[in-house]
Amino acid sequence: MTRYVKMEDGNSLTISEMLNSIERYNLDHLKEIEDYVEEQARENTYDLEANLAVLKLYQFNPHMMDLEITYLILLKSLTNLPHTDFVLAKCLLLPVQMQDNTIREIIYLADILEQCDFQLFWDRVEMNPSLFSRIVGFYDSIRKFVCHVVGITFQTVEKSLLSKLLGGLDDGTLNQWIKRSGWKVQGHMVFVASQDENIKTKNITEKIEFDTLAGLMASMM
Amino acid sequence: MYTNDEYGGPDYYDDYGHTGDPHLDMEYERAYYSNRMPENVKTFILNFRAAINEGVMFDIQNMYENTFPQLSDHHFDKSAWPDETEVGPLVDNDKVFMILYKELYYRHIHARIPGGPKLEQRINSFFNYCDFFNLILSSKKPVLLELPDIWLWELVDEFVYQFQNFAQYRARLTDKTQEEMEQLLNNNSNVWNILCILNVLHSLVDISNIKQQLEVETNGGDPATVAGEFGSQSLYKMLGYFSLVSLLRVHSLLGDYYQAIKVLEPIEIHKKSQYSHIPACQISTSYYVGFAYMMMRRYADAIRTFSSILLYIQRTKQLYSARSYQNDQINKQTDQMYHLLAICLVLHPQCIDESIQQVLRDKNYHDNMCKMQCGDLDAFKSFFIFACPKFVSPCPPPADAPFEDYVKDAMEHQLQVFMDEVNQQKDLPTIRSYLKLYTTLPLGKLAAFMDQSANEADPREIANLMIHLLCFKHKMKNIVWTKGSSGLEGKFQSGSELDFYIDNDMIHIADTKVAHRYGDFFIRKIVKFDDLNRRLHNINIK
Repeated sequence: MTRYVKMEDGNSLTISEMLNSIERYNLDHLKEIEDYVEEQARENTYDLEANLAVLKLYQFNPHMMDLEITYLILLKSLTNLPHTDFVLAKCLLLPVQMQDNTIREIIYLADILEQCDFQLFWDRVEMNPSLFSRIVGFYDSIRKFVCHVVGITFQTVEKSLLSKLLGGLDDGTLNQWIKRSGWKVQGHMVFVASQDENIKTKNITEKIEFDTLAGLMASMM
Repeated sequence: MYTNDEYGGPDYYDDYGHTGDPHLDMEYERAYYSNRMPENVKTFILNFRAAINEGVMFDIQNMYENTFPQLSDHHFDKSAWPDETEVGPLVDNDKVFMILYKELYYRHIHARIPGGPKLEQRINSFFNYCDFFNLILSSKKPVLLELPDIWLWELVDEFVYQFQNFAQYRARLTDKTQEEMEQLLNNNSNVWNILCILNVLHSLVDISNIKQQLEVETNGGDPATVAGEFGSQSLYKMLGYFSLVSLLRVHSLLGDYYQAIKVLEPIEIHKKSQYSHIPACQISTSYYVGFAYMMMRRYADAIRTFSSILLYIQRTKQLYSARSYQNDQINKQTDQMYHLLAICLVLHPQCIDESIQQVLRDKNYHDNMCKMQCGDLDAFKSFFIFACPKFVSPCPPPADAPFEDYVKDAMEHQLQVFMDEVNQQKDLPTIRSYLKLYTTLPLGKLAAFMDQSANEADPREIANLMIHLLCFKHKMKNIVWTKGSSGLEGKFQSGSELDFYIDNDMIHIADTKVAHRYGDFFIRKIVKFDDLNRRLHNINIK
């Protein structure tokens, strides 16, 4: 569904048109973009630019800052890993936001995700599930990120390790993820991809052809 | 507009009985100079006005770039130029000329007066910029004014600089008197306001159709077809272009790296164009773009951006050797970029141009890069603090904030975000140094290396190592720009020199081996001998 924002002159712009103009700083539109953030959480969609625009409006108008919306924006940005959206959002936070305990917890979670300590992440998430239930598809988005990291790291990996990295999935669900990623089960191992084709030692040698020097030499004569 | 009277005449000061008050000193200075405005200064002002009114570009540029700084050095080294009350009558209160003169007048105060400008001067300078932009923007027909591009660049750049400087001044509550605080809170909450700055820059971009012009140009068309009435004038076109670059800077100062790169979308940063003839603008663009990339963990892009501009600077170095206000800024930014490049290369080792590498072999860089590789966080911090932009908070401290110094808050926050990133990566250089020695290495063996105490690594350590290896792969695979004019777009690539994959419990390592390069060496020698040869031929023995 495309959202429209009413302008003072009676015209309507789409959110992305509005964000491309000076109107992005107009506080009158804050509510509209905040609703849009909630919609993203509900409907598992994502719009980084709009979310950053909300944080920027908070930065310019600290009295309008809404912690609940901030949580949503930060958690949503984690669903877009391996992109660095979380860092972009973090750079815009105000001191009061940085002091909030829930935000600190989210930053901590981002930290362990960025360090790829996935088992610790899943343990930690279990302690506070209500925080994540507001983001539809949160866990699967994180699993997608885990699969991305596994996919670039392994040629073959133990199935049991894979299961732990993905948050202790049962065999049926694990097999679905393996299938979806295009991997193959081989006994207790999982074949991910043949990496030796992509990851090869590179030799950089300097090649100087006579032709490239011809001009230089001619000018020296 | 504020005049001196509103801030109180002599009575005002008598009440408080200040002696040695800076305002009074200024008053005295002014009296001193009004009696004796040096003759050559007077002539300069008259000639300058004539040149501007007649639009003699060569003369304007010469007076702007040479005569004004010379006279500043000679007569006004640590003092202000004559103010408007003295200059006005001299030039029949020529409105446009007075705005331009005051732009230079306040810029000079910002640059040269020890202790910086007074609040009143900051305010007046702001209103003078407003006058200038109003003149340009609210006219129904394009204003027929021609100024050298260098002036236009420095004007817009200075506008952003004074905003940044004011934001920092505003955040320092420790050195303000009660009166100054009241003035700031009550009368001047809109002065140097962020929205105002953004508004001006956006308006200049819009009126000049610069985005459309750049897009058409990229596609090989003629920009004049979309320039419109205003945008076809050089004044508007260049102001539009410089505003894009200034928006990059403003967003960077606020920590909004996404917008920073996004505003530049119509500009192809890596291409030379008709707009790239102002070195300071080129260099500043690359500095902020590279910095934003670094913060977004796009190290390959940051390294490419820095190397390419640093090479350009190396090749045109002789232009910046003379000491001038312009070159000081360029040299500072060059230094900062070498620092940032050093950080990026520690986090993301990769091959760069030999002549840039040569500079980084210098002791200061070399030692600190070694420290950073060994996980010395203070080395990262000090490099970052030296090289980062002067971050600002868009809002002043709240009215009820304790009287403290908040200037560093914005920088501390960005530093924290950056250091969090560094911390996440702190074990990677150690792992890299071990991997470099092998082509294959069992997980257990590497785990034992990492934990130097044990001979046999236990499963817990291997699991721990596994986390680091996953992290290594994740952090070294980043978005890299490949094509198109949007600097935000790109593809995931592993551009670092060392890569690996894990096959069950065996690590397979791929390194980049660079054979010794001799071409460059020979070219240098050839040129040297050629030079020598030519000199020998030219010797005339009589």
